[in-house]
Amino acid sequence: SPRIQTDFGLVSLLFCTHRHDYCVLGAGPAGLQMGYFLSQTQRDYIILERNSGPGSFFNVYPRHRKLISINKVYTGRRNPEFNLRHDWNSLLSDRPDLLFKRVSTQLYPRADALPRYLSLFAEELGLRIKYGVDIGKIHVSEPAFHGGHGYRLTDQNGLEYTCGILLVCTGLWVPQEVNFFGSELVEGYESIPVDPEEYRGQAVLILGKGNSAFETAQSILGRASRIHLYSPSPVRLAWQTHYVGDLRAVNNELLDTYQLKSLDGLVEGGLEEIAIVRYDSEERNKSSRRKKHGSVEMKGRGQLYLTLDELLDNQNKTLAFSPMTLPGYHNDNFSLRQPYDRVIRCLGFRFNFSIFEGAASLLHSGMARGRLPAVTAWYEGKGTPGLFVLGTASHSRDYRSSAGGFIHGFRYTIRAVHWILEQRYHNRAWPTTKLQTTQLLSWLLRRVNEASGPYQMFGVLGDIVLLRGSHFEYLEEFPLQALAQFSTLSGHRVTKSGMLVLVMQYGLNRTDTLGSGRAESEWTWAWRSNFLHPVLYYYSTIPTEQEMKHRPAGWPLPRPKAIHHMIEDFLTEWDGPMSHIQPLRRFLEHCLQTDLRAFYAESCFRFSLTYREPPIFCRLGYLKKQGVIGNRKLWQHAREAGLMPTHHDSGTPKEDMSFQNYITKAAASVASGMNFHL
Amino acid sequence: MSRYVVSLSLCLCIKWILCGTVSVPKLTELTEDSFARTLRSGKTSFLYFGNQVSPTIGLFLEQLEKSADALQDYGILVAKVNCSKIPVLKYCTNEKVMKKAYLFRGSDLLKTFGTDTVFDVNAIVAHVLFTVLFDEVKSVETQEELRNIERAVKGRADIVLAQLPMLGLPEHRAVMEAAFVYGAKHQFVLTKGGSLERLGIEDPDSPGSHLWFLHCREVLRQSDPCQHTTLKKPLTTLNVYTFLQLMETPLVTEASVDPSDVKTVGSHLHAPLLFLFSQRETLALDRVTAETLGWRLRGEVAVVLIHRDSADVRTPVEYNAAYRLPAEGSVIKYFNLKSIEEVVNLFREDTVQEEEEDIDEDWAVLDVLDDEVVESVYRDRDVELDVGLVTELTSDTFSKAVQESNTAVVLFFVRWDAASLAVMQSFKEVADALEDIADVQLACVDCGEWTDVCSSQLIAAFPTVRMYWSGGLPHTYTGMLGTESLLKYIMLSLAAAPVLLSSSQEVQSFLQGDLFHTQATLSPTRVVGLLSSSQDSGWPMFEGAAQALRGETLLGLFADQQAEQWAKDHNVKLPAILVFRAPDSTIKAHSLQLSSTEQLVSDIQKLLLDTFPELTVENLPLYLELRKPLLLLFLGPEGDEEQGQGLDRRDAREELHRLADTSLLDTYVPCWVHLGRTPAGRAVLESYLGSIPQLPALVLSQLASGGEVFHFPSESPLNSDTVLQWLHRVERKEEQPAGLVLDEKWGPSVPFYDFLSIMDQEVPGYAAQKTPKMTKNMVGEKGSDEEPGHSNRTPSTKKHMPQQEVPTSHQHSEF
Repeated sequence: SPRIQTDFGLVSLLFCTHRHDYCVLGAGPAGLQMGYFLSQTQRDYIILERNSGPGSFFNVYPRHRKLISINKVYTGRRNPEFNLRHDWNSLLSDRPDLLFKRVSTQLYPRADALPRYLSLFAEELGLRIKYGVDIGKIHVSEPAFHGGHGYRLTDQNGLEYTCGILLVCTGLWVPQEVNFFGSELVEGYESIPVDPEEYRGQAVLILGKGNSAFETAQSILGRASRIHLYSPSPVRLAWQTHYVGDLRAVNNELLDTYQLKSLDGLVEGGLEEIAIVRYDSEERNKSSRRKKHGSVEMKGRGQLYLTLDELLDNQNKTLAFSPMTLPGYHNDNFSLRQPYDRVIRCLGFRFNFSIFEGAASLLHSGMARGRLPAVTAWYEGKGTPGLFVLGTASHSRDYRSSAGGFIHGFRYTIRAVHWILEQRYHNRAWPTTKLQTTQLLSWLLRRVNEASGPYQMFGVLGDIVLLRGSHFEYLEEFPLQALAQFSTLSGHRVTKSGMLVLVMQYGLNRTDTLGSGRAESEWTWAWRSNFLHPVLYYYSTIPTEQEMKHRPAGWPLPRPKAIHHMIEDFLTEWDGPMSHIQPLRRFLEHCLQTDLRAFYAESCFRFSLTYREPPIFCRLGYLKKQGVIGNRKLWQHAREAGLMPTHHDSGTPKEDMSFQNYITKAAASVASGMNFHL
Repeated sequence: MSRYVVSLSLCLCIKWILCGTVSVPKLTELTEDSFARTLRSGKTSFLYFGNQVSPTIGLFLEQLEKSADALQDYGILVAKVNCSKIPVLKYCTNEKVMKKAYLFRGSDLLKTFGTDTVFDVNAIVAHVLFTVLFDEVKSVETQEELRNIERAVKGRADIVLAQLPMLGLPEHRAVMEAAFVYGAKHQFVLTKGGSLERLGIEDPDSPGSHLWFLHCREVLRQSDPCQHTTLKKPLTTLNVYTFLQLMETPLVTEASVDPSDVKTVGSHLHAPLLFLFSQRETLALDRVTAETLGWRLRGEVAVVLIHRDSADVRTPVEYNAAYRLPAEGSVIKYFNLKSIEEVVNLFREDTVQEEEEDIDEDWAVLDVLDDEVVESVYRDRDVELDVGLVTELTSDTFSKAVQESNTAVVLFFVRWDAASLAVMQSFKEVADALEDIADVQLACVDCGEWTDVCSSQLIAAFPTVRMYWSGGLPHTYTGMLGTESLLKYIMLSLAAAPVLLSSSQEVQSFLQGDLFHTQATLSPTRVVGLLSSSQDSGWPMFEGAAQALRGETLLGLFADQQAEQWAKDHNVKLPAILVFRAPDSTIKAHSLQLSSTEQLVSDIQKLLLDTFPELTVENLPLYLELRKPLLLLFLGPEGDEEQGQGLDRRDAREELHRLADTSLLDTYVPCWVHLGRTPAGRAVLESYLGSIPQLPALVLSQLASGGEVFHFPSESPLNSDTVLQWLHRVERKEEQPAGLVLDEKWGPSVPFYDFLSIMDQEVPGYAAQKTPKMTKNMVGEKGSDEEPGHSNRTPSTKKHMPQQEVPTSHQHSEF
């Protein structure tokens, strides 16, 4: 009876450790997204969150409270899938009203909107979240789950959670720091004042040239006297690199003031080699004599000087300051020779590796200066089976290339991981749509024209078409780098008919983004397209791991048997009969070795009587009594084009009459008000 | 005919060369005796009967005299008969001046010519040969006809295609003479021209006479086109002959002798010879060059590859090529081959520069839409967006619309699918026809925009037509997507399924079409299920079947004690069905074994089939499903039949109909095609037999088995016995097939544009898999790519010169 069950549940809650098949660590966007998919498949899961609400990161960050993720509410389209291409904040769900636009219609929304949205999402979908659980230690645990080991999580109160599968969605929140002499004099992005007035008249040196650095600069641009940005790499502009993590134009006003020589500037140099020294009054007195004949002028406006580590000998390091230790002493036009009132560190965040212990330790990825954990192509920690890293922390797979580190990207990779979990632990194969081969062209065009997953996760997630002769199976958004493990991960086989992979890609020629010749329009030049465009790969067998590894430089996939680029389109509408559809059809015809043209019933009639087997369009349509008849006007067009044979005596007027009569008769008798015995 | 090809061609050859030197004998005048002998001999003769000679006839006789000599070579006797001496009853008319000439084979008259048709020696030779060769030389008017012939000969023979806008001219004669010699070897095809553009053969600017050689014999796959070579010289007998000879010589001949000693087929031809010299080391490459040149100059120049290593070759080493023009005593000219174009131009200086098909041109063709549905819809793109009276539904309106209207018929489509747009046109026509019916709403959903609606409706194919009822499950339409079929489906669907009949009177009036009059006029069939009572276990099955057949036919259900009487009257046992068929108003009854709804549906569908249907575009699939050989009677449109001989259309149809109603044709699907109503049938017949035979024509098409096509001899009378005998002979393999059902695979319609090979060509290495070594390098590059700032650092130099210089990496980037 229900009562006994309830009792039993209560007892287990009181006396056992908390056990779940799935533990999701963190109730940020990634955690909630995973929670949603787990709740959809009614899995035993729990989301553990140390704060009192979801998405707490966004209560603090970005510090200046403007999200730079696009929230394009007015796209001119009503296709919900298409609209997700221009909605970078919403999570995926089956609820058409549970979109970010409910909380904000601003193109660049206020950051507060995000936790608000996440709360709505969690509440309306009834996701199971435990707040106030701060997991401090993660160990591998013995009890097996589906043949593997599990994970034991310990919270701040010593409470333990045992999990079959651990889904780490903790994001990146540990501020990235650099150690150099004087780094304690540097303020962090996480704690700087956000009121511009506090910077009035100040000279500010910002370490970093990413979005947080520019965001900070932008907010104080009208108050600070001089803003310099210093970091090893030159600025990378998102609109040039197509990588949304690079500097977005929303934040780039300082580029203007720099290039128009309005006191601000950008400088490149290593972070480990610098030192910051304070010039305080005590020291000023000490060195006053030297100052008189010294070459370094101290005007006393600022206090902090940037210098080089190598200019400070050990003694200087203790003394910390003398004009000799400043680069300006050696080089009178050194760019950063003037002192600063503030030095601010805006170097981004790193993953918190510290809670993973023993066999649960996560390796550091070689990407992003070791800030991210190393994961497989299906986002499982390298060396930690059953532990998956999702969300921003999973970005090492596509760092600086695609959108896997951002909501609008990882919402799709999380869905992919969920299908992989379903297959691996519950034997539910990746969902496919089975369709007739005559629908292949339309279906690909449908995806190409609306799908948001491959569009956002370009080069990372791709649709897979399993060719099966007269039908095909369509899988959406599979992680391309895991293609060699396709059968194991998806639960589907590739037959001798082979497979197609549909990927959205930017071109490789990334020079002069705004220059002439930046776009191609001739379809035979499609492979030189620069903007995001669909590319189809045809393989007769699944590429091996070796082939994946040795794929051509810059390619997401190995050299296929045949490839087709669809020419980039200014409107991203790939539906031109001549430029998009026919070349695609011919490529498919080549892969399938069959004529995929459409025919009117009359042509099918001819082919059915004169050929052993008519073309597939007739076979799957006309011969199943579903031919496309067309009408006189259309036939006439086809005949004029020489595509249908002209009849010697086409259309006797008598025929016309009879048909016309037929319709008018039918309509008239109906109109006269027959009773239909419905 | 091939027997005398060799000797005859040789003799023709000599004649042409010695042209004009042969003395012309006087025109033979036949005596009574020789006339009788000629007729008995079975020889072909071309005779003029006359007595008086007008000036016109005098001129004609002069020409006739000339033709006598020419036609003698073809074994045709040319003579005149003096009617005043031998008054042959049939041909010596009472006219003053007889203006007719007659062609006989033995005593059979082949054709009568007016003297104005055979106006001169060329016209005489051309027309006489044309008549004699009637069975071998085909005429085509459309490219489709030409394609049919191509299809038929691919892999077997080549085609000589001649475009002759006018008959009876020297060009016509030249072609006919060539046909006489080569007719057994090549398929000769004549056309008046003007309709062959799509083949890319015809130059539309020159409507004159042209001749092409279509290399069909070497074609291995049906889907491959026949290559063609154009005769670039005027159509004279000699040029045609040389051209055809050159077509037979291999593209390149090889020799190990000096050019002056080369004896190839080409050397006795009236064609220039091109010699290319080759050494052992370069032989493979030179062969390629020679073959390329051979293709380019095919039909104009004979290419000979000379092995220079042979001691017999005395050509100076500084030259790698030579040529000799055909003129008598012309010398060999040596030169250095630098480019293929140069050589081609050498031989084309005085000929018109023809556009060569090269790869670029081929790709230009790729931008022409080759899909009839796509192209026709594309041509209509100006009206594409207008959906007329069809309501466009959206995510917001869809549910309401399908719930609130009694009957909503919804077309789900996408704009990039041409078939969807073509069906949309039919759908609009249906909407127009049903405009005044309040009960039926026609609507459409653009799945490109309202993807959520289409996903929730599980639309898996475009286009999909689905009918939504108030208070019933939606029904997906699975019939032909055309105005008429859709309209019929919608109208029939409005009737109840099943129609419950409560009395014998109702059964009667339902079958007669008085009940549901509107629908009855649309449906040629009506079905009544007979059950003894509504408690019968068959009831739910009939209900299910009626739902499944909704829109296909009208199904009534009579569950009553009186049903027993109906069954008795029709000699069947309950449960049973009555099938009413409109055209002949017959009612047939069938007993049923009720096992499942699906079985019942398929049983009813089978019973709805006609025993001797008129095949149409729309009903063919129903009958092909039976997978039996088709016994097709092709009927011409009324008044289009040749009168006199053979069959009468009515008789033929009725004979077959009678036969079809017996069980004798059970292994076949006997049916008929009306070429007026179903003009596509003409193309079918043409494909079967190569041309349109006399109509009506009875054809057996073994579509599902063997693929052979047999043609009932048109001269035999068509009745039950002859047809059955003929079918028996076919079964016993005693009949020769008249044609074949094409056994081609529908491969890609055009070669695909291979981006990979273009990449390999334009950016070598770009699309190449990395070698393991390269991978290592790439990892290095990747590392530096990730942290480019680090690579710019030069810490070591700084160490040594701290006073002097501040590291460059700290320089303002402007430096």
